[in-house]
Amino acid sequence: MNFDVVIIGGGPAGMSSAIASAQNGSRVLLVERNEALGGVLNQCIHSGFGLHYYNEELTGPEFANRLENELKKEKNIEVLINTFVTSIKDNEVTIVNSNGEQKVKAKSIILATGAREKTAANICLTGSRPAGVMTAGTAQKMVNIMGKLPGKDIVILGSGDIGLIMARRLVLEGANVKAVLEINPVTSGLRRNVLQCLDDFNIPLLLKTTVFSVVGENKIEGILYGNVDENYNPIKSTEKFMKCDCLILSVGLTPETDLLPDLKIMKATGGAEINEYYMTNIKNVFSAGNVLHIHDLVDNVCLESALAGKYASLSAQGKLSFSSPIEVASGKGISYVVPSVCYKNGEKLIAKFRLKTKITRKNIVAKSGSKVLAKKFMLAGTPGEMVTFEIDKSSAEKQIVVEVEE
Amino acid sequence: MKIYDTLIIGAGVIGSFLASDLARSGYSVCLVDKAADVSTGASKANSGLIHAGFDAKPNTLKAKLNVEGNRMYPLIAKRLSLPIKKVGTLVVGSDKKVVENLYARGMANGVKNLSILQRDQIKEIVPNINDSVSVALHAKDSYIISPYLLTISLADEAIINGADIILNFDIKSVKRESGIFTIKSAEKTICTKTIINSAGAGVNEVAKLIGSETYPIVFRRGEYFVLDSTESGIAPLTIFPLPSEHSKGVLVTPTIDGNILVGPTSYESDSSTITTSVGLGYVRENSASLLCNINLKKSIRQFSGVRCVVGDDFVIEKSKKVDGVLTLAGICSPGLSAAPAISKYAINLLGLNYAPSENAKKIQPYTLFKNCSKPEKNELLSKNKAYGKIICKCENITEGDILMALDRPLKIQSIDGVKRRVRAGMGRCQGGFCMLAVANIIAKKRKIPLEEVLKENKNSNFIMFDIRGGAR
Repeated sequence: MNFDVVIIGGGPAGMSSAIASAQNGSRVLLVERNEALGGVLNQCIHSGFGLHYYNEELTGPEFANRLENELKKEKNIEVLINTFVTSIKDNEVTIVNSNGEQKVKAKSIILATGAREKTAANICLTGSRPAGVMTAGTAQKMVNIMGKLPGKDIVILGSGDIGLIMARRLVLEGANVKAVLEINPVTSGLRRNVLQCLDDFNIPLLLKTTVFSVVGENKIEGILYGNVDENYNPIKSTEKFMKCDCLILSVGLTPETDLLPDLKIMKATGGAEINEYYMTNIKNVFSAGNVLHIHDLVDNVCLESALAGKYASLSAQGKLSFSSPIEVASGKGISYVVPSVCYKNGEKLIAKFRLKTKITRKNIVAKSGSKVLAKKFMLAGTPGEMVTFEIDKSSAEKQIVVEVEE
Repeated sequence: MKIYDTLIIGAGVIGSFLASDLARSGYSVCLVDKAADVSTGASKANSGLIHAGFDAKPNTLKAKLNVEGNRMYPLIAKRLSLPIKKVGTLVVGSDKKVVENLYARGMANGVKNLSILQRDQIKEIVPNINDSVSVALHAKDSYIISPYLLTISLADEAIINGADIILNFDIKSVKRESGIFTIKSAEKTICTKTIINSAGAGVNEVAKLIGSETYPIVFRRGEYFVLDSTESGIAPLTIFPLPSEHSKGVLVTPTIDGNILVGPTSYESDSSTITTSVGLGYVRENSASLLCNINLKKSIRQFSGVRCVVGDDFVIEKSKKVDGVLTLAGICSPGLSAAPAISKYAINLLGLNYAPSENAKKIQPYTLFKNCSKPEKNELLSKNKAYGKIICKCENITEGDILMALDRPLKIQSIDGVKRRVRAGMGRCQGGFCMLAVANIIAKKRKIPLEEVLKENKNSNFIMFDIRGGAR
């Protein structure tokens, strides 16, 4: 089989990039491992999706359904569900499904494989390893897809958005969510989720607090927990026991880049380093969505992935220009900027960044040398939000630095 | 009621070797364990090494049986179609004297292919060796193996050769009348002529029920990190520091499945297999002195196992109090390495005849779809479409592989049981992606409700209730 663009992953990133690739004249293959398109949206039955992308509030499955309907209108997209990509080598993608193992040739490949949740081992959770300790996504699937509850007395470790959403969800389904523990002094989730999922349901959020150890041999019986100091070390004197029959972890996401061990990974994002066209260090391999960097909103995933899809299509047609590269770097107060390289091609650069700390009433500037290329005023900003920044690069020199103005 | 020749209590690697060897020697055997699977104690939580045998004190059972067991493994692995790899061992340090003593001890134990290497020779084998290392003992004849897949394969082999294995068997009473033992759990009764107590951490509890000798057991906990397969390049062979009094020290070793193992600790503890921040911190500090590039942030799992130590040597004894009882206690390191020789030794000591038949039935290999050739893959798929559905994305394990695990002679129905057999859930996401899918497959195959699928043992349910209004 031969395609212009092969896209791995049929979540929002994969679907958006497939649509854009097809609209830019490519023959596209979209490969999805599950039995339906939509990715994690299918289990996110709460609302709050699409406010920016569709200008209305949708649930996850509704959002996925809209994207899928748009996708179906395109004639040049072939979709394979229940299909796994096992390896990628030199523009050749190996897939496995019930028809066996096959190789597919692609001029461009888009990695849209999303992210996985960090596990108990990733945070070195100590104590026993009993049943009843699971990630928030697993708990979400259990409740929303399978119609089962993981417990009745639940503690959530980590205040990531999925954890906050699950706190509310579990209470609505009849469980008692005893507390949400967050090791940091601030929550890592969106403010609106803290208000709507915890405060509205009287669920305590314990900051600077973490699980010291898990108790229970076969089934979790409780946790030893307490406060941490500035260096995140447990303060032993604050240790207490909390009984629970389930511990849910919402301690962050890791981009699922493992299919391509040769990808150059950006330390701050865990995703691939890319240029303005969303192309990685591996020629003709593109990356978009949560596998590139963890997003706060699916709306942003779709906007970004549409660009990646367009460029992957243009690349397959040999229409991309790589002349006069300009490095894009993060400066003061910025934890990372995507992409890392742009070109003098007459287009504006749409950069994405995250702040290092909470700010109020500050300007964000993009500078090339002493020249200010773009400026953006932020009334308030937190590390939890991803910020989009449009930069006019026509007068940029070798480097663009994005920073918080003093 | 059937009267067995031998009842083996405790289905770790020792109990499973005994069951298979006795069954293949023509005896009627029953193997019981209180857990829901074999290999759930120390046999699943160790370094997975078949030591060459230079470490144990000469003229001990440990030394003798380790060296003998080591030589038995290649054929055992072949018989069981079990992956094994001769990687070799380096014991590294800066004290030449200690290395020479180890060398001498190895020679006295009859270990072959030993040599002492200098820094430049060490660097040829391990370019990333720590700067402080100047001298090493190199033992070529050590292997890596999956200790749980070994135990499971032996249990399967025992079954197809006529042994009975009863899991979830918690002994309530043992009685002896006219030379026949009657052993009862809450639900079942077993009669046997002889008993082998290989209950590991539970050996004294079982001994008390039998009325045989108990032993002064000391538990020593070993905590480990498992690193992602992306790190497999850091150690081409097993690397130890120079040994201390209580342990061989914190090692770094490749595993047969392509991960890296870093650990263990060895401190006196209770019998629980918890991990601790102090223990893992100890491993972190000590491993750094072996290699210059161990990245423990790439750890995908931490675990601990508990060694049962009785003095300096293995205890393998016939009871003087109760006729027809043999006890194995204190089978700590190098227990796995010595296991096949321990089994042979124990069977002869009990007065039975160790004579596994050449014509004994052979188990089917645990061949995974991903390791098949293209024609083999197509053949598997033509028989069962489930081989085309990957369930565990980290290890590329298909639904067909999982069904194969459930179809093996020893019938298990736990998530961890599947994990030990075909590695679903063993990878970097630790079952985050596949756990529920595996639970669904087990429930469907065993025709049980999802709520009854367990993680491991009794009460380890992780799906607890229907949501309000019941399941959809």
